[in-house]
Amino acid sequence: MTQTALAETRTGEQSMAAHARAWLDANLPDALREDRPSARRNTVAELCDWEAKLHRAGLVGATWPKEYGGGGLGLRAHLDISREIGRTPMPESVNSIGKELAGPIIMAVGRPEQKAEYLPAILEMRDIWCQGFSEPNAGSDLAGLRTRAVQTADGWVVNGQKIWTSGASKSRRCLLLARTGPVEDRHRGLVLFALRTDTPGVDIREIQSIDGERSFCEVFLNNVVIPEEDMLGSPDEGWAAATRVLSIERATNRMHRAWRFENQLNHLVSACLSDPATRPLAESTYRRALAEVSVNIELLKGHVETLVGSLIDGQEIGPRGSLPKLFWSEAHQGFARLALEIVSQFPVEASDTLRVARKRMEDIYLKSRAETIYAGTTEIQLDIISKRILQLKRKA
Amino acid sequence: MTTDTELNPEDFVETARAVTTACAEAAGLPERMDLLAEAGLTGILAPEAVGGMDLPLGFAMPVLRSAGGGFLAAPLLECMLLARAFAGVDDALARAIVSGEMPVTVAWSGVLDGTSGVVGRAPLAEACARVLVLRADGRGVLVTPGEGAMVETETTLDLERPEARVRVTAASGPELSADAVARLKADALVLRASLILGAAEDCLSRAADYAQERVQFGRPLSANQSIQHHLARDCLAVETIRNNIQRSISPECAVPAAAARATFVGAATLGARVAESAIQVHGGMGFTWEVPLHRHLRMIKALAAQGGAADLIEAVAADLLANAA
Repeated sequence: MTQTALAETRTGEQSMAAHARAWLDANLPDALREDRPSARRNTVAELCDWEAKLHRAGLVGATWPKEYGGGGLGLRAHLDISREIGRTPMPESVNSIGKELAGPIIMAVGRPEQKAEYLPAILEMRDIWCQGFSEPNAGSDLAGLRTRAVQTADGWVVNGQKIWTSGASKSRRCLLLARTGPVEDRHRGLVLFALRTDTPGVDIREIQSIDGERSFCEVFLNNVVIPEEDMLGSPDEGWAAATRVLSIERATNRMHRAWRFENQLNHLVSACLSDPATRPLAESTYRRALAEVSVNIELLKGHVETLVGSLIDGQEIGPRGSLPKLFWSEAHQGFARLALEIVSQFPVEASDTLRVARKRMEDIYLKSRAETIYAGTTEIQLDIISKRILQLKRKA
Repeated sequence: MTTDTELNPEDFVETARAVTTACAEAAGLPERMDLLAEAGLTGILAPEAVGGMDLPLGFAMPVLRSAGGGFLAAPLLECMLLARAFAGVDDALARAIVSGEMPVTVAWSGVLDGTSGVVGRAPLAEACARVLVLRADGRGVLVTPGEGAMVETETTLDLERPEARVRVTAASGPELSADAVARLKADALVLRASLILGAAEDCLSRAADYAQERVQFGRPLSANQSIQHHLARDCLAVETIRNNIQRSISPECAVPAAAARATFVGAATLGARVAESAIQVHGGMGFTWEVPLHRHLRMIKALAAQGGAADLIEAVAADLLANAA
């Protein structure tokens, strides 16, 4: 069934939010619910299957054009769906790079045949994407990128190395950034490709992260030949358009985070309340600290909802897209620290409810350490704000 | 009736800024009230029947933002809300408030048990003609100092709107219902956040200007990343307050009461942090009486207490526990 057909199973009067809530309640398998004892580590195939179902229900790609498998709806519908997805304790997408980064960039700079090939495959979970931007010598400073792409009669020949490439080992495509000229060209001559990760010369090695996962990877590129038709936009043009898209995407992607954050807080509190022997909530300092987290969640929603309103009104948000990311990452880390302190006081012989909450909060704590690093570190976000919003003088 | 399709809240920004500047030169509260009334600001929320403009809350916000940034020494927030609340209850009184003839205020802290007791945190009560005091049953009474109520001076942080205590022996005067008082208190949350936003914006702007003018070690302070990041965090704080004020009055907001509460509590915390940070960026200058950053900080702290920020945090905790149970 197509996405549109299934999405239309909602009744005429039913709001998108009500449809999303009812569908998620009825369809999320227990094994995927992060607040249940039955939750377990899921395979990539299971997660892809789940996300494909979400798409067929109209809950993914709401704002993408219908011709590419999207819902053809506005940002308001996307926000409504994101709230419900956030409220539901389900795993994060294994294809967020495809849906939130590659997809919007392809829509902006891709040729019609590229859009037709790549975009539906992202939503239908046939293609998982990863992001090949960072390099050992070009992390926050992408102008230091060294991976070279040389045009030949057979296509582009690429050599170099990428790192921190989340999900590369399970991806079929990589949004690859390379340069056509020397490193001295800095931001000039950058070119974007939709690289197939099974291309000869692509060597992917997993890196174990502090949470024990092997999600992010190193990608070595040794004389990798990329056909001309997999270049996204022309050199320069592709990257320039991508940076424009990214400034909007930074504000609109992962909108569900505020509501997922709220779900995590509610899970922690309800677990504590389930056991009268759980001491922390009896202490006013913890109650107050949890209330402050709750206030921060509302404030984060204020950022998200106001920026969405601005975009709907046609306003430029520019560097203001950095605000929700910075606010969320630091508030969420603060919550994770507090949550870990609370669950560490659960009794030794804890109930299933407490053990599930403890495991979830421990995972959240470790993963949260990356939140102020990925998608532009806290320091980069502060630089963006001081340079582009405050426009502070930096020299004598 | 005037509708917001004809007017835009931002239309009031320039007027509010000019009036706030004029008020700074005015001799006393009566003169300031005249200026505010003349510009229509005291009656911005009150119905036209009592001389007001009958505009929604969103129109009062930019006005109070200008007032907060410009050190306005008048109970404008209280007059706006009381003129609206008493319209229909006592039109002559509401008209007198709108016209600026009768400056009024609210004792925001404490309640009377019956008709007597001591309530406090009434901004500018010593200069006001009437004070709304709240009762334990939720209703409010507008008492007249000297008639069963005495205004007592208190030491107070806020220099622009010094607070006083009110000792009530026999509360009498026009009354507001519990519903009207509840609405007044709810709307005051976001209006206070607007005052704080204005103050925080002014602190940030002064700190950013100073950091770019002040040269040390041969370069402006703003050339140092530590200072840039300090100011960037303050900018995030200001934008957080601004976005949440907007969210609180948006028709799209699904939880306006929770949003308003978080907006005020967040503004009280973040606004104070911006003012403290501005003092830090100014160095020793920031600690002097002449640099007015402390005036903003004092006002923000007083507003936090008037709105009961600490109690509201407890209320958030209670809701959190009740919803999760």
